[in-house]
Amino acid sequence: MKNPLRKRLPRELKSEFGKYFVIFFLMFATIGLVSGYLVAGNSMVAAYDETFEKYNIEDGNLRLAKKANKALIKELENNEITLYDNFYVDDAMENSTTLRIFANRTEVNTVCLMDGVMPTAYDEIGLDRMYAVNNNITIGDTLSDGTNTFRVTGLIALPDYSCLFQDNNDSMFDAQKFGVSIVTAESFARFSESDLTWSYSWKYDAPPADDAEANDMAEDLMKSIAAETELKSFVPRYQNQAIVFTGDDMEGDQVMVLVLLYIVMIIMAFVFGITTSNTILKEANVIGTLRASGYTKMELIRHYMTLPLLVSGVGAVLGNILGYTWMKDFCASLYYASYSLTTFHVLWNANAFLLTTIIPLIMMTVITFLVLTRELSLSPLKFLHKDFSRKKQRKAFPLSSRLPFFSRFRIRVILQNMGNYITIFIGILFANFLLFFGLLFPSVLAHYQADIEQNLLCNYQYILQIPLNAVNENKKLESALNMMLFQNEVETETEGAEKFSIRSLNTTYEGSRVEAITLYGVEPDSRYVSLSSAEGTVAASQAYADKYDLAPGDTITLKEAYEDTTYTFTITDIYPYDGALALFMPREDLNRVFDEDKNSFSGYLSNEEITDIDAEYISSIIDLEALTKISRQLTLSMGGMMNLVNGFAIIIFLVIVYLLSKILIEKNGQAISMTKILGYSNREISRLYIFSTTFMVLLSILISLPLEVASMKFLFKYMMTEMMTGWISFYLDPMILVEMVAMGLGSYAIVAFLEYRKIRRIPMDEALKNVE
Amino acid sequence: MAFLEISHLKKGFGTGENHIEVLKDINLKVSQGEFCVLLGPSGSGKSTLLNIIGGIDQANSGDIHIHGERMADMNEKTLTLYRRKHLGYIFQMYNLIPNLTIRENIEVGAYLSEKPLDVDELLHTLGLYDHRKKLPNQLSGGQQQRTAIGRAIVKNPDILLCDEPTGALDYATSKEILKLIETVNQKYGNTIIMVTHNDAIQNMADRVVRLRDGHIRSNTLNAQKVPAEQLDW
Repeated sequence: MKNPLRKRLPRELKSEFGKYFVIFFLMFATIGLVSGYLVAGNSMVAAYDETFEKYNIEDGNLRLAKKANKALIKELENNEITLYDNFYVDDAMENSTTLRIFANRTEVNTVCLMDGVMPTAYDEIGLDRMYAVNNNITIGDTLSDGTNTFRVTGLIALPDYSCLFQDNNDSMFDAQKFGVSIVTAESFARFSESDLTWSYSWKYDAPPADDAEANDMAEDLMKSIAAETELKSFVPRYQNQAIVFTGDDMEGDQVMVLVLLYIVMIIMAFVFGITTSNTILKEANVIGTLRASGYTKMELIRHYMTLPLLVSGVGAVLGNILGYTWMKDFCASLYYASYSLTTFHVLWNANAFLLTTIIPLIMMTVITFLVLTRELSLSPLKFLHKDFSRKKQRKAFPLSSRLPFFSRFRIRVILQNMGNYITIFIGILFANFLLFFGLLFPSVLAHYQADIEQNLLCNYQYILQIPLNAVNENKKLESALNMMLFQNEVETETEGAEKFSIRSLNTTYEGSRVEAITLYGVEPDSRYVSLSSAEGTVAASQAYADKYDLAPGDTITLKEAYEDTTYTFTITDIYPYDGALALFMPREDLNRVFDEDKNSFSGYLSNEEITDIDAEYISSIIDLEALTKISRQLTLSMGGMMNLVNGFAIIIFLVIVYLLSKILIEKNGQAISMTKILGYSNREISRLYIFSTTFMVLLSILISLPLEVASMKFLFKYMMTEMMTGWISFYLDPMILVEMVAMGLGSYAIVAFLEYRKIRRIPMDEALKNVE
Repeated sequence: MAFLEISHLKKGFGTGENHIEVLKDINLKVSQGEFCVLLGPSGSGKSTLLNIIGGIDQANSGDIHIHGERMADMNEKTLTLYRRKHLGYIFQMYNLIPNLTIRENIEVGAYLSEKPLDVDELLHTLGLYDHRKKLPNQLSGGQQQRTAIGRAIVKNPDILLCDEPTGALDYATSKEILKLIETVNQKYGNTIIMVTHNDAIQNMADRVVRLRDGHIRSNTLNAQKVPAEQLDW
């Protein structure tokens, strides 16, 4: 004979539909979201990993000051590498973006065509998909740099630009203002040599086995090439952010999503524990009778476990279906919104299934089993007498009779239900943490952007570029004349323009990622950077100090990017500037450190645009747009995710408060019924019971806030130091706290309304039932 | 040895000054198939004695033998098995499972037995056959208690323990229930131990045990049993 108790299950499901729907929905939504994210992520990581071979990605690239002749190429290739031309033009387009144009590649870094056709005619162009999307360009559109006009024939992804970093030293990529593209070789030939960047990709004859070997090989290669010719840049693949950032970031995202999953699972476990023990409470008489009749504890545990686990299981299965279908596409679109990824195919992901389904289900099973084992360990007699106390409360908590009766009553309700209120607090803590996370990031980024705008050193930082003909070793006289001409040409009449020197060195922290630190040498009485004292001052920017915990008196060691030369500085001051990880010092000091002439300078700081220096002498301009790249890109790529987190947090908040308040009212059903018999109105009863919960919810929200702020500060710093280059300082807009309290209370108002209805519906005979 | 033999049973609650002896040296023998009524005022210890016999409460000292098995030797697992095999329980409150039909509630008891009674036949005996598809809250108190009795006896237990089974019922319904218990005793031959404070019920029993302050004040056998039908109070 099958256990007749199983016939209860469908009826139980029907009568407690709200509760089980909530459990189902949480499982379904969480697992759907997370498995979708993991499946999309893993499939994309697999596609990304495949690109290295499929599209023959370079082992590194180097930039030379001028085009290498055949002899030099042969010389360089003696280092057991093969070099490939990968010249490009950074073309300023009419839509205020920079488009990097390459000739079609056929050997390394080959092109993935995502839509349309490859360019074949002179005026045709294949455009990076993401750049096209971000700038509302579709196939068939034309775009122009003022001189040349191109018609877009196809959308592409370049495997060496899966992440659109314009410069490898940038803190963040910029998929809005920067894009890559392909034209035919004939079309590319239109650009004059002076516009070209002489970039070469290399492949090792014998590829390195791992990053450590790649590092050794790259260092040897760099020294060897640097001895032959002047290197403008040297970027081995493992250091190339445009290639490796995507992979690193996708893996990082997956960790975050898994953390989210397990936070939700912990909340679910609470919900399970509480609802299970509430069921036991409600069914005490039946359980007592069944146990007295000879039902074993195990039979009852199995019975009470079946439905929650069945519902979770169905939620998990349907969640996976959601994950593999709609959610996967949605999550893939989030990745495609950030990265120029090649096409991907959905891969069955056993690991994701294990992490999103098997482990949570096992976790739920174990927790439910433990809670039930504990709850059902009472003797049948205790169940029959509804005596659940493991320890008898010896004395009532003393309350002054001067307190009004209603206040004392409420305090008693709170004291009696403290266990439930503690659970509400823990639930609110987790849910609010998610909400905080979702609300904080956009606000931090907005604040960063506003802060950068307000605290710019100056509107423009012009970095000059010495023309090649001024440094030709073979033609010394001509070079000297050209240098004089250059020095004359780069003087400016612009009001307020101020000479400065700039250098970039790398950090040397053990075990930490290498970051570029910008060294500014400024005039002693600079109007843009006011150093407290002149000679000997080395001021670290606030961002640098915050990120690496620097204080005056600390000594730091930096090194040349492509050489072993190191430099040591002692910090004398912290300069309030968040725009970059930088050191500020007098120009003469900086020049002395790098053995430059004391009057030497690299460019100008200016609030006005400089128009009297020829563009060919200007290497780059650092303006507001360049400095806010990081916040703009993060806003773009994380915006969707944050809305998702916020929505999720509110749902979780509602669910927890709803379930626990429901349990609380049910638990006190008999007492509520009795107060009704005594003549209390529904309104008065609600004031007694709902007010107590309202007070505790508000208190929980308020207590949770400082805890969340403290842990978020810690988490934020960890993310900024371990997961990103650059620095965004933590900023808490007080309005977020207000919003959180308002959202919490708003959600609770819905629950309170439902509970009020519930109280009204409790019949008076409830108090008369089951009283022995 | 008698079917049920209780010797020197003691049970107390609390410690130190708060210690109360509820059962003080109880000795009792009940034969197989006997209908035994435990009578006494509130606090006399009759329910506690019943619960100890039922294995859901423990004595501080003394022995209980049922069918030759010593209860003190049983651990929690064997006690559960003992209840499953030998006991049927009826309480003052019916404690039916609200979302199972009358038939299914009885099946809950049948499931525990290797040789349960025929459920449909029992439903006829209980007068519940026409209500078998209803839920408990669709029935009267008496009908619900009959269902609870059905649940207890469907597994054909050796002993039926009844704790104030008519305590929550009116006169007519109480008589109906007592008649049913009488029928069950006669038809299936179960040993019945019933706790009550209704003196009239003693007349339908084989054995009447009166308790007061934890002692057995009297233990008598009825020479002439009165059918439940003729009881009056």
